[in-house]
Amino acid sequence: MFKAIVSADTLGAALDSVGVLVDECKIRLEDEALTIRAVDPANVGMVDLELSANAFESYETDGGVIGVNLDRLDDIVGMADSGQLVHLELDEETRKLHISLDGLEYTLALIDPDSIRQEPDLPDLDLASEVVIEGADIDRSVTAADMVSDHIALGVDPDAEQFYVDAEGDTDDVHLELGREDLIDLTPGEARSLFSLDYLKDMNKAIDTDAEVTMELGEEFPIKMHFGFAEGDGHVTFMLAPRIQSE
Amino acid sequence: MRLDEYVDDLDRDESVELRRLAEEKSYAVTEYIDDARTRFDETLSGETLVGSTAPSVFVGRSSYPRVSAGLLAPVGDEDDAADYATTGTWYEKGYGIDDVFERRTGLLNSTRRSNVDVHDVWDGFVGTQREVAIADRPVDVELGLEDRPGFALDGSLEDIAAPRGPRVGADTARVTENPSVPRAIEKTLSDDDWRATGAMTYLYRRGLDVYEINNVLSVGALGRGENRRLVPTRWSITAVDDTIGQYLHGTIRNAPTIDRTLVWHTEYMGNEYWVVAAPGEWEFELLELKAPGSIWNPDPNGRLYTAADSEGYEGRTEYVEETSGAYYAARLGVLEALAERDRQAKVFVIRHATEGYWAPVGVWQIRESIRDAVDGEAAVAESFHGAVRELVPRLPVSMSTLRRTSTLAAGIQSDLSAFGGGVGP
Repeated sequence: MFKAIVSADTLGAALDSVGVLVDECKIRLEDEALTIRAVDPANVGMVDLELSANAFESYETDGGVIGVNLDRLDDIVGMADSGQLVHLELDEETRKLHISLDGLEYTLALIDPDSIRQEPDLPDLDLASEVVIEGADIDRSVTAADMVSDHIALGVDPDAEQFYVDAEGDTDDVHLELGREDLIDLTPGEARSLFSLDYLKDMNKAIDTDAEVTMELGEEFPIKMHFGFAEGDGHVTFMLAPRIQSE
Repeated sequence: MRLDEYVDDLDRDESVELRRLAEEKSYAVTEYIDDARTRFDETLSGETLVGSTAPSVFVGRSSYPRVSAGLLAPVGDEDDAADYATTGTWYEKGYGIDDVFERRTGLLNSTRRSNVDVHDVWDGFVGTQREVAIADRPVDVELGLEDRPGFALDGSLEDIAAPRGPRVGADTARVTENPSVPRAIEKTLSDDDWRATGAMTYLYRRGLDVYEINNVLSVGALGRGENRRLVPTRWSITAVDDTIGQYLHGTIRNAPTIDRTLVWHTEYMGNEYWVVAAPGEWEFELLELKAPGSIWNPDPNGRLYTAADSEGYEGRTEYVEETSGAYYAARLGVLEALAERDRQAKVFVIRHATEGYWAPVGVWQIRESIRDAVDGEAAVAESFHGAVRELVPRLPVSMSTLRRTSTLAAGIQSDLSAFGGGVGP
């Protein structure tokens, strides 16, 4: 049994952060929260999402897992006006999800969860540096880097107490340094890793410019980016494997 | 063999190779043109109706969708007609730029303007062209020519260097024998509910090489009925390389990775190739370094021209930006070798076009060079970046330029399983 009412904005934000990596996913309908964990087919970028029951107007479940086509679901939710409520109800018999918004009824055929790619393990990473940064700064870094290259280096200079961004293209370069005063917080440590902009651009799409993003970085290690949404009742962690420069 | 020994061995061959190239560049061109002109003059002797044997077809791309449909025939040298068709055989025979030039200038392109929409046209000039394209060997034809062939070889460097035969307008063309058509082609031809990509893949799996498939696609003999149209030769070559490449890419998506970093080298017609394949999930890049004085960078005092395109595990969805058809030709050669061994890898192809590459012979040269290179014995390197560092002294670029130009040289994509996350291998 699953029956919930949630604002279209909240549900849309949750789906967007998963949809940038995969086309279909498993949604776990747990007592306290709805959770999604997914990795892209190349095993390079993953997302771990939790949307607490508090984010819903009402939330009732007795557990279980459903498989959904994200594009489809996102399209339907996208039809709602901002602030409108979306009603979700699982039909256990037919394995369909009934979605209604402002009188519009949509019955979404679910996907057999067993046919969806296995949920990824969370890597246990001990990353030297932690940077708390505004979504807007990630956005302008990614946008500028994309003008010159298809990859971007993110690092922390512990001596200068600076987070920096580097992108080198055929002819042009992009460089950005943000010190303590430009960041929300900084725990400095040696860190520099190169990342594919294709992935970062996609992840960036799911990050609000006014979001507070905690980035964890290491030396040629995956980056972790955590941020909240739905007034703190939703939480996303993105992880992205680096492009290796040394071996 | 270790990579450093392998590289030393190459040094010895290189000087011999350079001398050969210098000789080739001696503009034997003019002789070939004169020979071809004499041959055509003698054979045609003012006649407008001429019998010949066509091994191949050509579809121009200018004025699309009213293109020039062409039948290629070595008028006056019919016995060797098959050797005039561009195929991998040219590489096997070790043809140089001059040999290609000789074949191309000796091939009369009889053309007639046609609308590309040829869904069910099997008569007239276009019909004859289609029959030639689907036949399994050169076809005897009778051509009704409008006038005398023109050799449009005065003008820009590109015109002179491009090994292209003379063109002549034609009113009529008809097949004078009953050509045999491979069964696989007949099947794709008769099924007009079969998407072109699927039909191309089918032909490839039935053992046809991309050259034959290209002919069939080019004359609009594949695909769903309403979509069947003439496809300019240059576009169809890339379409076939891309389609077959995507098919092969699909077959290795879940294949195990190679377990060592391998390096191959080959040289052909003034092009030097390095192929570096490293363990990991599929990634591919073609980097082209075009020396000043080579055909697409003709100013001998100019700068090196660099171009690169790449794709990740999922492949590409958009046409490449910098390396055009070369990308798909090189990728095909690499994917064939990986699919054959049921392995995937991260593959970096470096093409250095030296000034010895003075005439553009077509992307078949790239395709066949890569096919041959990866079929040979490889040197083993410690790591991907280790191999690249060792190659840099052999290339006309510095490491820093290489990193700026090449996505793979800048960094190869790792995956989360290497860090204990993601979905395990």
